[in-house]
This record gives sequence, structure tokens and C-alpha cells, in this order.
Amino acid sequence: MNAAVSNGGRRWLWLTFWILVLFLYAPLVILLIFSFNDRELVSFPWQGFTFRWYHTFLANDILLGTLRTSLKVATGAAIVTTILSIPASIALVRRQFFAKGLASGVLLAPLVIPLVVLGTALLILFNLVGIPASPVTIAIGHIVIALPFAILTLVPRLERIPVALEEASRDLGAGWFITFRQITFPLLLPALFSAFLVSFVISFDEVVVASFVAGDNVTFPIYLYSQLRLPRQLPQVIAVAVVILLISAIVVIVAEAGRRVSDRHLEAEIAVNEEEVSLS
Amino acid sequence: MSDPGVAISLRGVSKSFGDVHAVDGVSLDIAEGEFLTLLGPSGCGKTTTMRMIAGFEEPDAGSILLRGTDVVGVAPNKREVNMCFQHYALFPHMTVEKNVEYGLKLKKVDKAERRQRVKEMLGLVRLEGYEQRKPSQLSGGQQQRIALARALVNRPAALLLDEPLGALDVKLRKQMQLELKRIQHELGTTFIYVTHDQDEALSMSDRIAVMNQGVIEQLGGPREVYEQPATPFVADFVGVLNAMDVRVDEVSGEDLIMKLGERDRVVVSIGATGTSAGVGSTLLVAVRPERIALHTADTATDGGSRLSGTVGQVVYLGTLTQFHVDTAIGKRLIVHHLSDEASSTLREGDAVVLTWAREDAAILRDG
Repeated sequence: MNAAVSNGGRRWLWLTFWILVLFLYAPLVILLIFSFNDRELVSFPWQGFTFRWYHTFLANDILLGTLRTSLKVATGAAIVTTILSIPASIALVRRQFFAKGLASGVLLAPLVIPLVVLGTALLILFNLVGIPASPVTIAIGHIVIALPFAILTLVPRLERIPVALEEASRDLGAGWFITFRQITFPLLLPALFSAFLVSFVISFDEVVVASFVAGDNVTFPIYLYSQLRLPRQLPQVIAVAVVILLISAIVVIVAEAGRRVSDRHLEAEIAVNEEEVSLS
Repeated sequence: MSDPGVAISLRGVSKSFGDVHAVDGVSLDIAEGEFLTLLGPSGCGKTTTMRMIAGFEEPDAGSILLRGTDVVGVAPNKREVNMCFQHYALFPHMTVEKNVEYGLKLKKVDKAERRQRVKEMLGLVRLEGYEQRKPSQLSGGQQQRIALARALVNRPAALLLDEPLGALDVKLRKQMQLELKRIQHELGTTFIYVTHDQDEALSMSDRIAVMNQGVIEQLGGPREVYEQPATPFVADFVGVLNAMDVRVDEVSGEDLIMKLGERDRVVVSIGATGTSAGVGSTLLVAVRPERIALHTADTATDGGSRLSGTVGQVVYLGTLTQFHVDTAIGKRLIVHHLSDEASSTLREGDAVVLTWAREDAAILRDG
């Protein structure tokens, strides 16, 4: 009998599922609890509920400054990544060219390159070329990391847009640019939005590459990491972490839900309607 | 040099994909206002030929003249032809109106005229008042009509239709065939129609180009293609067919005669075929199932072919009943007979006599 349907099997699946969920999310719950614990030390016992840490971080200019840097870097990186991912994914989906497999491998390779290696390499490169460390260098590093994710977000959507739509546009007198603007781009828009959000989130919480190429521009994750050595600062850092965690979760959920809804929409619209309604 | 009555002219057009010769030296003149069908099985090169006219593929060799001008190398958006795609390819994010006026907008036609022409077109395809609908709110047949309107509103030199009715059910397909014919008649636009459906080709076309393996096997009117197939492929592809080997035993005036037993014989008229076959040659001869008369009693031949046989199988097809008859020619012949009372009494094993007139037998191959 199938383990998924027998009674014992089902109970076993249920149990492992919840153990897994616990394993994944227990640390985050702990974080949430301690962000409200009225105690300087991040440990039990529970000493009462407080919003104190949330108030302190709002008054901490250094912390807010790092958040601003991170926002700037992430916005810039996400915009550039999204723009770069458009021609890359169009080339991969629509064009046939020499060594396409190689090109796709090269574009997606940053997915598997260790971040430490990437960070070192970028640092050396920037030094060689003489580019001083700045939010821009951080953003460049993050674009490299985020680009494969953005491409992988666009490719499936692009594959579902029939080539015939672009051909029809060309046939009706549009050049490639107008065809892109009028047909491909509007149909790709939901995926572009997802790609932007994914890139943004990746950049926003990236610490490894950032710490190599940041110089004295402290991003929020770098700041967070450095505060681990100062136990007094920890509770307010935890409070920020909770806020950011919630915002990221909401952003990702909204993006994913939006993508699914619009995919279903597109699916329905491009499906050939074979059920016939008499015209009379 | 170019004939003003010719809309599109293909001259020695070839196209290969890798090792496959998709289109192999096709030459074809399509007259203004003609309804020409490219008919053939999938992979015969008909769609590639059409896509080369539209500009989505470029030929490796040969030229394509559109109203006398060579358009090879001209981008699809600069060619004065429009296409109806197999799955309509309506823009899903635009309303019907935006879809139809797309080409006009690109040509910078002003708004008032655009609106007027869109309205006329929707009238022509009988979908007035659908301007603000989205394609997803339309049925398949309606989407088909909008695709037609979107192409025709540009007043193209020729309209290319790529299996446009393939996604529709049988009843609607028949209805749309008549519609297409009516629209073509009203506008007088040249239609180039790609299909693998021989019924569609026969019922709609002025001329049919039957294609196989990248070449045109026969070009002619529907009746000609059906009744005088030029090659075994055409005969087989355009309808059910009885093909048989006929060894000529006797030549009598215009008749080539094969004798099978005492009274059975197959007679083929030399007529216009210009065959040089004589006694001893073997011909491949085709007879359409509906041209064969089925008799339950013995019948005189009046100079045509006569074969006696036994019914091997009976297939009821509605209006027609199909009889598979074993005869002395050694091949089971298919006969179509109206499903009347007489035919309903025939059973497997019954003795019958088949006859057909000498002009109903076409020579597919001699020697």
C-alpha cells in the first residue's frame, strides 16, 4: 500500500512535516519572542512584554543609516538586475545561437559560486581597476548574485508567451522594438515585478559579498553582524530583524501570489477556446 | 516583366532546415483575387512556403515577387501581406478594438478613420458591438473572425491563412469555410490558404497546389486535382482512392483493355492522357469509390470496365455506405453507394458486379 494513503503512513508524513516546519521556523519564533522580552540579555527567563526595543532602534541613527544604505543599494541593484535580465532571458528563450548551453551556464553560474570566492574576486577586481568601495560596488556585487534568480523568474513566463503573438505584431507592421513595447513587455510585466522583488530581497540581506566590497559603507546586514559582539545592542537589533523579516515575508508572498494569479490569467487568455458557442 | 494580374509569384524558391529540404524549388504564380490552397501532409513544406511569403523565413534560393517586386530580405513588417495564425494569436491584453486597429495605428491612420474601418471590418465578420471585449471572452469561432478582421483591415495585397480552422469543431469549421469564402468574395482579396484537410481545400479553393516533400505535385482546380490526379501521391492524398495495376492485353482504338477472365475487363481511355502505353505495358490506374456502380444483378458493360466480385466488408457512413469488394483484379476495391434500401440488404459474401465508365479511370503512372 502507498505510504501516502495508508493510515500509518499518513500519520508519519504529518509528523515529519511538522518536525520540518518546527526545524525551519523555531529560530524565527525565538527571535520574535525575544524582541518583546523586557530584559537586556537575550535569554530566558521572560521578564515581561515590552515595545522598548522597537522604540530604541527607531532612535538609533547609526542603525537607521545602515538601513537607508541597504535600501539604496537594494533598489539600485534590483532595478539594474531586472533590466539586464530582460535581454538575457529573451536571448535564452527566443533565439537560437552558437553555444547557447554555454551562455546559459555562464549566466546562471553565480548560483553555485561560493559567495566568499565571489566577494574576494570582486574586491581584487575593484582594486585592480581602481574603483573605490562605495554603495555602487556593493550593488554591482549584488547584481551578479541576483541576475540568475531574475533570469530564472522571467524564463518560464516568456516560454508561455506564444511566439505567434510577436510574429502577429511584426506581420501587422510593427518593428521589433514596438513589438517588445506593445506585446512582450506588457505580458512579461508580472514576471518583471517578481524579478525586481526577488533581486531586491537578495540584495537587501546579502552580507558576505557586501562585507568584502563595502569599504566603510555599512549596510544593514553588515551592521547586524557586527552588533553580535555587543550584547547590549542585541535586543534592538533583534527588533529590527523581526520587522524586516515580516516585511520580506509579506513582499515575497504578495509577489508569488501576484505571479500565480497573473499566470493563470495569461494561461486563460492565450488558451485556444475550443468550446464553441453558436453565433446565431 | 511582371504580369499585373499576378499578386504573388514564387520562382524556384527553396529552403532547407539543416539536412531537410523543407521547400525544394517551388514556382507558383498566384493571381489577384484568387483563392489558392497549399494542400499537403504535415512536413510537406506548405507552412514554410507561406512563412517565406510572410517574411518569417527567408528562402535559401529563388525569389518571391509581391505585385512584381522582389521581397526577399524585406522584413515581415514591411511586406504588404497579412497573416491569420493557426491559433489566432490575438493579443490577450488588448480589447477586440485594439487588436483590430493595431496595424492601422502603426500606419498612422487617424483616429476617426481607424474607428470607421474597424467598425466596417467587425461588420464584415459579423461581430459588431464586440469592440470592448477581451479575446478571452470570445469563443473559438469568434476569435477566428477577429483574427481575420485584424488582418483584413490593413487591406493587404494577399491574406495568408495558416490552417485557420484547425482548432474548431467540425460543424463550426464547415460554417467558417462558407464565411471565409463569402468574405473573400466580398473583398476580392487574394487568399493563400494552408491546410492538410482535403475537403476544406476542395470546397473553398479556386486552385489547389498539392505539396509533398517540398515540391508541388500538382497545381489545378479542385475538380481537376480530384478527378485527374497527376501522381499517385495526389490521388491518394485527395480523397479515398482505388489504385490498381492494369496490364494492357489489347488496344482497341482509344481504349487500353485488360482482360480478366471471360467477361471481366478494365478499360482505360487514352484520351487526353497522351500515354504511350501499348500491349504488355502495366499502368497504375485510379478510380474514385463514388464512380464505381454496384449491381446485384448481372449488367452489360457498355464499353466501360466490369468486374465481378464478392462483398468483403460493409461500412455504414451515414449518407453513404462503403463496400469493400474482392475482385479478380486481386485488390479489394472500395465502392461508395448511397445508403438506400437496395444497399442496406447487401451482406458480406454477396456476389456483386462493379462497373465504371472508361473516363472515370485516371492513369497515375504508365510503364
